[in-house]
This record gives sequence, structure tokens and C-alpha cells, in this order.
Amino acid sequence: MTLVALDEVAIQRAKAGDLAALEHVYRAYEGTVYTIARRMCRTEEDAEDVLQETFLEVCNSMRRFRGIAPRSLTAWIKRIVASKALMRIRADKYRETDDLDEEGGSVGRADADVALQMDLDEALSRLSNTARAVVWLHDVEGYTHEEIAELMGKTVSFSKSQLSRAHARLRSMLGKEAQC
Amino acid sequence: MLRHCTMAELLEAQHGMGSTAVRNHLEECEACRVELDRLHQRVASLKALPSLHAPRDRWPVVREAVVAGRRRQWNRRIMLAGLAAAAVLTLAVGVPRIIQHEPTAVEGTASVTYLGDIESLVGESHRLEEVLSVVDRNGRVVDGLTASAIADLEDRIALIDVGIERATAMRASSPQVAALWRQRIALMDVLVNVHVGRVTYEGF
Repeated sequence: MTLVALDEVAIQRAKAGDLAALEHVYRAYEGTVYTIARRMCRTEEDAEDVLQETFLEVCNSMRRFRGIAPRSLTAWIKRIVASKALMRIRADKYRETDDLDEEGGSVGRADADVALQMDLDEALSRLSNTARAVVWLHDVEGYTHEEIAELMGKTVSFSKSQLSRAHARLRSMLGKEAQC
Repeated sequence: MLRHCTMAELLEAQHGMGSTAVRNHLEECEACRVELDRLHQRVASLKALPSLHAPRDRWPVVREAVVAGRRRQWNRRIMLAGLAAAAVLTLAVGVPRIIQHEPTAVEGTASVTYLGDIESLVGESHRLEEVLSVVDRNGRVVDGLTASAIADLEDRIALIDVGIERATAMRASSPQVAALWRQRIALMDVLVNVHVGRVTYEGF
């Protein structure tokens, strides 16, 4: 996903505050950061705000980043974007309504009734903010339930239950009803 | 196990975890194996979703904010150094005069008036702080120019606060302290207006 190659020299220059090197970091990680932000946040505008907040944090805290390898920089930046996106989700007011929909099951039944054959992208977007964030962090970014719980300020069982419910809902929305 | 696997059990089995009972059931139950396979496929599909690109280039805004932040830090250092030098000079010149000076009856009355004046100025300043805490509660990202203006005003207010602290510590005259509080209120007023304008714009 990282389109612009970054070497250790560029990372060192960015850590020293060189604006050209920081732009290099931005260009290298813009896609990665926006993808995570967009998959976790409900709207494009929120994702853009998260992108901006993430890189402001990266630029301002780069000198405190201890590693020099691009791989560790990737992990560091991903951690920042996940944290910023979760902060945005927490501030999201309509989250509560959405969670209620899932708890109540009325939406789930409607999904099953019409046997939706929507694509995964759309199904993902129909999950609650929290469930979508957990699915993305766990299944795609490879975070453990312990890490997700720490990031969200919740328990491990909360993370596990969100993932389980999200997969049940995804299965339902994708029109593949359980055989068992 | 006399029942089929739950989603939670399938998720554990997907990562090679889960109880022996679940693993044994999966060996025997074709339906649950199919469900586990679907789960694998769904996760693989999630990982294969295309990467997305931001509709707008945000680097110019980020760059502007970073540059403004650095400029602010630099200005703060210079101003604090200047203020420290001024404080030293004031101490060197002013303190001996304050110690030697005995206030006249007229000056004493004026000081009492100014003390009352300072109390109302402090009250007004607190009122503006409260207004500010309400309008600034949202904390959304603002454009670079507004952010820079806000930061500049906050810096100037911080400097005046330092001045008030020093003036109080040095027991400066009430008119001088009152003048500093007036400056603070004027800047707070501008800061509130900037925030109110921003909130109105966002709401619009």
C-alpha cells in the first residue's frame, strides 16, 4: 500500500524536522492512513479529518519516534491513525442509535428478510462504528483483542463480543445464511 | 458437542484456539466446517479490499499548521527571553524606588479605587474564560490561518499572564496591574470572537 519508498536516511531527516522529508513521509503513508481512517470512520469527512490529525501528530512527534526502520515507522503511524479514528468514533453522536439497532436485532432481521447480496464494502459500512473498527483492526491490521481493548479503553471480552457479532451480521448481510 | 459452533467459537477455531470439544465437533460436522471456511474467506476478502485515496491533498494544510506551530514556539522563546530581560531590568531599577517610596493620602485612595477596578476586571476575565470554554468545546480541526491566529492570541494572553504574575510578585502599583488585566480582557474578547466565528462557520 505504501507507494513512495522511504529509506532510513529519509526517516532520520524527518525526525530532525526537515519539511521535505516529512512531506515524503506523508506521501508514503497517505494511502495507508486514509484507508484505515475511511474503513473505521463512517464518513469521508471524518476520515479526512483523521488523516490530517494523524499527520499533524506524526510531524509534531516524529523526533520522539525511536525506530529508524520503515517497518517500525509503519507500525507507529498505524497506531496513531487507529487511535485518532477511535477518538473520532467516540465523539460520534449517532453511534448510540446504531448500536441500539444491532442490539435490538430489528435491522438484522430486515437484512435477512431481503437476503441482501451486497458487497463486502457496503456490508462493512453498515456495521456500527465500534464493530467496524474492531473488525478492521483485528482481521485486517492484525491487532489482538488485548490491543484493541487497550486502544478503546474497554475489556477484552467487549472486543471479542463486538467481533463475533460483527461477523454474524456480515454473514447475514452478505446473504450467506448459516447451514448449521 | 451436541450443538453447532457459535460465531465466537468459530473465530477462536480460526486462530487455532478453542476447546477440544469444538475442534472435535469441527472434524465431525460438515456444516460447521463450511461455516469456518466462509469465515476464512470473509477475512481474506476484507484484507483484499482495495486501498483508498483521500479526495483532497491535505499536505498543504498539515504543512501550514506545522510551520505555524514552529513559528509560535520560536516567538514564544524570543518573547519569554525579552520578558525575562525586562523583568530583571525592572527589578534592578524599580524595586529600590518602591522600597523608598511612601504613598501619599491621595495615592492611597487611588490604590483602593484601582483594587476595586482590578476585582471587576478579574471577574470579567473569568467570564470570558467561561464563554471560551463553551465555544471551544468542540475542538474540531480548523484551517491553518485560523489555528495560527488562535495560537498567536493564546501566546499573547500567556505572556500577559506572566506579566501579571510578575507584577503581583513584585507588588507593582495597582494601575499597572489593572492595565495588564485590561490588555488580557481585550485579547480574550478577540479570541472569543474568533472561536464564535469559527463555530458559526462550521455550523453553517
